[in-house]
Amino acid sequence: MSQNKNTSTMLWGAVALGAIGVLVSYRAAGLERFWANWVLWFVLMFTLGLGSLFLVALEHLVNAKWSVPVRRIPERIATLLLPAIPVGLIALCALPVLYPGSRPEAAQHPILAGKAFWLSLPFFSVRTLIAFGLCVLGLAVLVGGSLKQDTTGDPAFNARARKFAPAFMAIFALVITLVAFDWISGLTPEWYSDILGVYVFAGAFLGGLAATTLSVLYLQDQGRLEGVRSDHLYNLGGFLFAFTVFWSYIGFAQYMLMWYANLPDEVIYYKLRLAGSWRAITVSLAVLHFILPFFALVTRDSKKDPKRLRMVACLMLGAHFLDIYWLIFPALGTGPLFSWPELSFALFFLGGILLWIRGAMQKGEDMPVGDPFLREGLEFRL
Amino acid sequence: MSETSYSVLGIYETPDALMKAIPEVRASKLGTVEAYTPYPIHGIEEALGLRRSPLGGMVLVMGVLGAITAFGFEYWISAVDYPIITGGKGAGSWEAFIPIMFEVTVLFATFTAGLGMLFLLNKLPFFGHPVLSSKSITGITRDRYVLALEAEDESFDSVAAAKALRAAGAVEVEVLPAPDRSPFLTSDFILRTLGGIFAACVVSGLAMFFATKWFPLLPPMRYMEDQPRLNAQKPSAFFKDGHGMQRPVAGTVTRGHLPTATGTQEAAASLVNPLPRTKEVFAIGRKVFANRCEVCHGAIGNGMGSLTAAYGGKPANLQAQQFRDYPDGKIYWVIVNGKNAMPSHAADLTETQRWAVVHYVRALQRAQNAKDEDLKVVAP
Repeated sequence: MSQNKNTSTMLWGAVALGAIGVLVSYRAAGLERFWANWVLWFVLMFTLGLGSLFLVALEHLVNAKWSVPVRRIPERIATLLLPAIPVGLIALCALPVLYPGSRPEAAQHPILAGKAFWLSLPFFSVRTLIAFGLCVLGLAVLVGGSLKQDTTGDPAFNARARKFAPAFMAIFALVITLVAFDWISGLTPEWYSDILGVYVFAGAFLGGLAATTLSVLYLQDQGRLEGVRSDHLYNLGGFLFAFTVFWSYIGFAQYMLMWYANLPDEVIYYKLRLAGSWRAITVSLAVLHFILPFFALVTRDSKKDPKRLRMVACLMLGAHFLDIYWLIFPALGTGPLFSWPELSFALFFLGGILLWIRGAMQKGEDMPVGDPFLREGLEFRL
Repeated sequence: MSETSYSVLGIYETPDALMKAIPEVRASKLGTVEAYTPYPIHGIEEALGLRRSPLGGMVLVMGVLGAITAFGFEYWISAVDYPIITGGKGAGSWEAFIPIMFEVTVLFATFTAGLGMLFLLNKLPFFGHPVLSSKSITGITRDRYVLALEAEDESFDSVAAAKALRAAGAVEVEVLPAPDRSPFLTSDFILRTLGGIFAACVVSGLAMFFATKWFPLLPPMRYMEDQPRLNAQKPSAFFKDGHGMQRPVAGTVTRGHLPTATGTQEAAASLVNPLPRTKEVFAIGRKVFANRCEVCHGAIGNGMGSLTAAYGGKPANLQAQQFRDYPDGKIYWVIVNGKNAMPSHAADLTETQRWAVVHYVRALQRAQNAKDEDLKVVAP
């Protein structure tokens, strides 16, 4: 118990320390850098929550039984979407600073003038609000319903969730594409890529999966997920393994087409990211996000090995951070920035995220005890 | 009976009974224990003590080999053997290799998985497994769970095996005879297979022939012929001048054919032959001279080539004093620009070839006008 208290004191301390750094960096580090950090952490929180919610919806969609015992974990992580909403609303203040499409001079720009309505501050905000509303709807139906089922044990929830899951897939596709196009691609509105939404989706799902796997392993260590076995871990590991390949497939597809066509308005994106120190980050992204996890999880036993899985999940979360950083920060037009403002943002938001997830993990049951398929899920064998 | 029997099947009514029987039967150590069930049963692999299949490792190795093979082929052809710069990409652009590396990786891996499983691990070709002709097979494919004790060697005791299976709860026992192990690839089988393939080829070939003959409006793949395209040497409405083949832009020079000697022949007199007088250079010059010059100028450059006799032209006699006094640059200029009836060879010969043939012409001239000191043996 005292250890528990110590951890939460430490986390609160990190948040407080980070908050001071964040406030100072607003004054001292320059507005552009401040808001780039803010948007970075908003996108990270949002994609982690959304990726986890996607995992939940996917399990309902395909009527998966194996995942019922661990389903509560991504449900809890998906609630990260709730604190992400105020963070996102504050991030709307970044629009006039970071997003060229929302500045008044965009009306004179030969390319941006045509997109003026889409990129303008009011429509951007409305879209964001709609996306948040849709996410809350998904949370209410999928997570709220599941929590309610704990007490009622009403099997009607499973049927309802299964009916809602296909609709949520459409919602998810829309929301993740908006995140990619508005918040990431919007930083450089003269550049565009159709596949960026899929790329961000792959990263978000991997992030959600890694967070889920890590939490499952953590709770297992505390003896709280009794009945979850290596067979369940194997499926999580298999998902992680498969989606590292998917992520790199999409990432490379985008790179190769732009490299081949060599059109100035497209290659500028990679020109920036392959010059100077950004080149090292691009290469390490390929290594950390694809090559290392791929070979770490390629054998059958490694997907069941808790130690290996924990390492890969941590690596994946780090790589997801690096991925979003790599998407957002080059737009500032400088080399890779990482010093005290970035560290304070990391302390503040990481501490906050961990506190939120810790809180969520301590509330209610660790498994969906009202789900009629729980027993079948516990009996799952490969 | 014991020397011909192949295995003994014990039939169980529930999967639980089967799972319970496995450790008991394995403990009897009478032969290899094998199970036949209508559907996969969880945990049966561990119970039977089956080894991990080596297929995964084989697939990984072959997949990596596929990636390396594809990379090697592509790098060799596009960077070493025949480097052509297209679209401004360097010769060894790895980005362009990735899709093919991906495909070949998948190809090698799937072939290894499929063929390795069938031929290496399942030991095909194989006409039939004895269990398939047993009486129990109808039960195995429906609702019976069968444990088999299979013979490992000649000393297999089927009576003891049947007893062990009954002791472990089998409701019924069936003894299978040894399978027919006669050679698989008999000459008869090979002949029939080859004959079948031949007959199929003849039938489909004839069918194709008559189908296209009797139904001429339905030739296969006709659309490939009718596509709009530019034919060399043919008119075309696509370009304004009506030609399918277009002239290169004025001043175009083939890669490696620079610099072209311009200006007058006198101005070119000061050009210096950049090539050394080595065996390799003379070999190039000799080859070019034989291919391009000899028909008119003759094998020794005396202007008596085979075309001279046929058409009565008057090519230059390169052995004449006038041409022996020419500086290298003036010969070079003639090769590039042509002179009188001689056409320009600028488009045919690279820079190296032109200068090499100049060296060779010099050698021909000296050979026909040798001095005494040329007879001295030069130390090799």
